[in-house]
Amino acid sequence: MSSPVVELKHVTKIIKGKKIIDDLSFTIEEGEVFGFLGPNGAGKTTTIRMMVGLMGITSGEILICGKNVEKEFEDALVNIGGIVENPELYKFLTGYQNLMQYARMVKGISKQKIEEVVEFVGLKERIHDKVKTYSLGMRQRLGLAQSLLHDPKVMILDEPTNGLDPAGIREIRDHLKKLTKEKGMSVIVSSHLLSEMEMMCDRIAIIQNGKLIDIQKVHDYLQESKQKYFFEVDMKNLAFLKDISYEKVEKGIEIELEKDEVPHMIQLLIENGIRIFEVTPISKSLEDRFLEVTTQGEKLHA
Amino acid sequence: MHKLIINEWIKLFKRPGTLVMIGLLLLSIIATGVLNKIYGDNGQTAHPQWEQQVTQEIKQAQKQLSELPATAVDVKKDLERKVAINQYRLDHQIPPANETTGWTFINDSSALISFAGLFTIIIAAGIVASEFGWGTIKLLLIRPIKRYKILLSKYLTVVLFDLFMLAILFVSAAILGFSLFGTGDGHNVHLAYSNGSVVEQNMLLYLINTYLLSSIDVIMVTTMAFMISAVFRNSSLAVGLSIFLLLMGGTVTSLIASRYDWAKYILFANTDLTQYFDGVPLVPGMTAGFSIIMLLLYFFVFHLLAFGFFTKKDVAA
Repeated sequence: MSSPVVELKHVTKIIKGKKIIDDLSFTIEEGEVFGFLGPNGAGKTTTIRMMVGLMGITSGEILICGKNVEKEFEDALVNIGGIVENPELYKFLTGYQNLMQYARMVKGISKQKIEEVVEFVGLKERIHDKVKTYSLGMRQRLGLAQSLLHDPKVMILDEPTNGLDPAGIREIRDHLKKLTKEKGMSVIVSSHLLSEMEMMCDRIAIIQNGKLIDIQKVHDYLQESKQKYFFEVDMKNLAFLKDISYEKVEKGIEIELEKDEVPHMIQLLIENGIRIFEVTPISKSLEDRFLEVTTQGEKLHA
Repeated sequence: MHKLIINEWIKLFKRPGTLVMIGLLLLSIIATGVLNKIYGDNGQTAHPQWEQQVTQEIKQAQKQLSELPATAVDVKKDLERKVAINQYRLDHQIPPANETTGWTFINDSSALISFAGLFTIIIAAGIVASEFGWGTIKLLLIRPIKRYKILLSKYLTVVLFDLFMLAILFVSAAILGFSLFGTGDGHNVHLAYSNGSVVEQNMLLYLINTYLLSSIDVIMVTTMAFMISAVFRNSSLAVGLSIFLLLMGGTVTSLIASRYDWAKYILFANTDLTQYFDGVPLVPGMTAGFSIIMLLLYFFVFHLLAFGFFTKKDVAA
């Protein structure tokens, strides 16, 4: 086990008497892509802004590579590269001049490093054009370049794919994968787009109303022991199933089963003279899980 | 720190607005010079009978002095000053400069300092607030640099910009003045009246001094604009309030000063330090030391507010 790159300890944020973030604790390990998921207004952006020092922490602490974000701001922030929502850059400067702005703010960034980063995000052709002529996707790439200049250990991206078209989203995803694989960076991504998180992240935390509801590996989410199976069968004479809870759907039934129970079920159906055309596991998408978890949370609150 | 200032400087000069400001300043100097050349009455060198003229002026002033009621303190002091300076001219054979020379042109151009100041205030009002407006503040503040350093670099940039505008004004006025009106007849001394006696000053030093002293109110209002910009993060509020105060502050303060003594605690009663070197204080009993302390106090409070709010407040937008 490597030491955690980012550590939140009992972080609470109160704005104007309202608890926005309530006792949030989790850690992010080296080299993982960590998803931060929650409905709008759940506190994702607030949490991320506390991590990068844009917002103060009411109580608790955040450590980046062991350094306290509030007390050792400069030492902590050296390890962070970030985009907070859409990267807002200086539109009246060229892409290169924008990067130079940020390069001057950290010691030891060479011209080669800038060129390397430009190459990495694929902006070589347009880097000397003014940013106001860039498309959203290109701005996003320049934003990514800006955050990579000082070789941070952690990338923090708040809604990095907001407003991008599918090709742009895919591009960002590919870049992030490259970063974690080639440079061993940890990445924290927040989003409310579930399908996307599913493809990008190793681990996902779900927050709602400022509270951590669930934190799990994406892998585990998708492979729980109990799963729904779809049986395409003749819909007649199903009376014998009255002891088992099942759902009638078009062309068949859905039953929740453990994997070992599947052969028994098939046998049962055959013994009762039911013709089976198809049996498929219905993989529960992250979206289902997400809705399941968050609506449970809501019920608890109500 | 110097790299942060370079950054700010680049951001300033890559925007067309800044260049337009410099252009307007140059244009206004050129216009003043050209109009002065065409319509001003010059060409005549020092009046041959200037001594008679000055003697006459002294007599007139003395007559006025004896006729004035005792309450007109300000007018009296001004007249006394005139008499003293004219007497000094007679005693030391220094003819009054009634022709325009390069020197007087630079002196007259100091009226444009508040114009240059206006631009500096606009810059100061925008330098923090526009980062919030553009949204770039987020990427700026997630660098491994403490917030106070970023704000300090911005303030220093504003001060540098003010000096830069002053230098442009001074140098272009000098070039234009000397090439249009020549260097005059060599009596390049300035006569200043202070504490009842007349002092000769080197003209160049006097002019530089005038420029710097005249920009004290600009620096103070600029600092205030910067403070409003950092606290409220709104550049139009900062621009509006500061320019209003720059234009109206002096007038309102002297109105109050004519009735109440506490006017001396108002910022604008203290911004004009030339009143101690070359004139009469606004409220009797004010000294240069008092004004400097008041200015420092205001300066300190403005920065306390600016830095306090900027470093503590959450960036939410």
